[in-house]
Amino acid sequence: MSSLFLQLFLLLNVFLIGVLATVAVRHAYAHFRPPLHEAYKTHPAKQVVHLPPEVREHLLEAAQANFQNVLDHSARELQHDLETTSTQLNKQLEKIGSAIVGNEMERYQMELEQLRKQAEAAIGGAQIGITEHQTELKAKLAEEMVAEQQRLVQQIDTKLADSVASFLTEILQHNIDLGAQTPYLLAMLEAHKTDLKKEVTGEA
Amino acid sequence: MKLKLDDSVSSPQDLKSMIIEIREYARWFGHNSIKKRLDARHSSEPPALSPGASAVLREWNTKAPLSQKSLDGLLSTLEKYHVSAPQLTITLSAPPANGLKKTLVAWCRDNIAPDVLVTFQFNATLLGGMVVRCGSHIFDWSFRRQLLANREQFPKVLRRV
Repeated sequence: MSSLFLQLFLLLNVFLIGVLATVAVRHAYAHFRPPLHEAYKTHPAKQVVHLPPEVREHLLEAAQANFQNVLDHSARELQHDLETTSTQLNKQLEKIGSAIVGNEMERYQMELEQLRKQAEAAIGGAQIGITEHQTELKAKLAEEMVAEQQRLVQQIDTKLADSVASFLTEILQHNIDLGAQTPYLLAMLEAHKTDLKKEVTGEA
Repeated sequence: MKLKLDDSVSSPQDLKSMIIEIREYARWFGHNSIKKRLDARHSSEPPALSPGASAVLREWNTKAPLSQKSLDGLLSTLEKYHVSAPQLTITLSAPPANGLKKTLVAWCRDNIAPDVLVTFQFNATLLGGMVVRCGSHIFDWSFRRQLLANREQFPKVLRRV
């Protein structure tokens, strides 16, 4: 039994070796005769086709239809690819644009923050300066107000003194000298002598 | 008989003091007359008299020689003088000096009535000038009165200054 199998196996191997040898010979022949092969390709031998015109027409229409289908299919695929590419490009552009805008915005925000800090520092310095200036102005104003107040008080005192003196001079005229009133008293008595005499005479 | 009082005797109080002095003098004069009549060795000194009283006695002596009766007449005349003499009250802003008093009294007796009695008072609030009261009438010539009467002029003066 085993020998039978062995024999069958050996026969099969021989057959296969023969097939392989044949293939190798053919390939070798084809390898060593390429010009003949190229010439054969370039100038194929005219085949004489003996087909009826209807079949030929039918085949031509079928071929045209197939070709048209292939073209349409290719066009659709191309359009689909173009659309996909366009979408992807748009997405990529959007992504890139977003990234650029984000970067720009971040940079802008950083610069803005830096400027804000600089402005805050400047404003803080200015505020301190303003506060100091205000303090100085307040102190100066207080001093000036005190000085002005004193000046006004002095002016009022002077004016009042002048006014009182003028008023007394105007009202009392030359009789204002309190140390020498005798002439004034006698003048008053003289001016009203008649009235006094009348009163005394009436009383007496 | 009319008397001319010295200007130093100006007020009723001065006159009353002078009457008391002269009454004392009259009492002394009576005692001294009795002592002379009895030829007594010890005689007392006459009481001191003010210039006004001395002047009145001198004036009275020129009219009638001094005797107990004439002195009684003098006292009676002075009492009547004190009762009937017209009176003035002068208020000044400060106590008047004697010179001013005499000047004012002399003027009053020369120009108003020769027998007028003048009482002097003082009130510092008058500031100056004088107030004369004669009976029920008051003449206010004080500075205060003038200032108050012209106080509406003060704003004008103030604006002008």
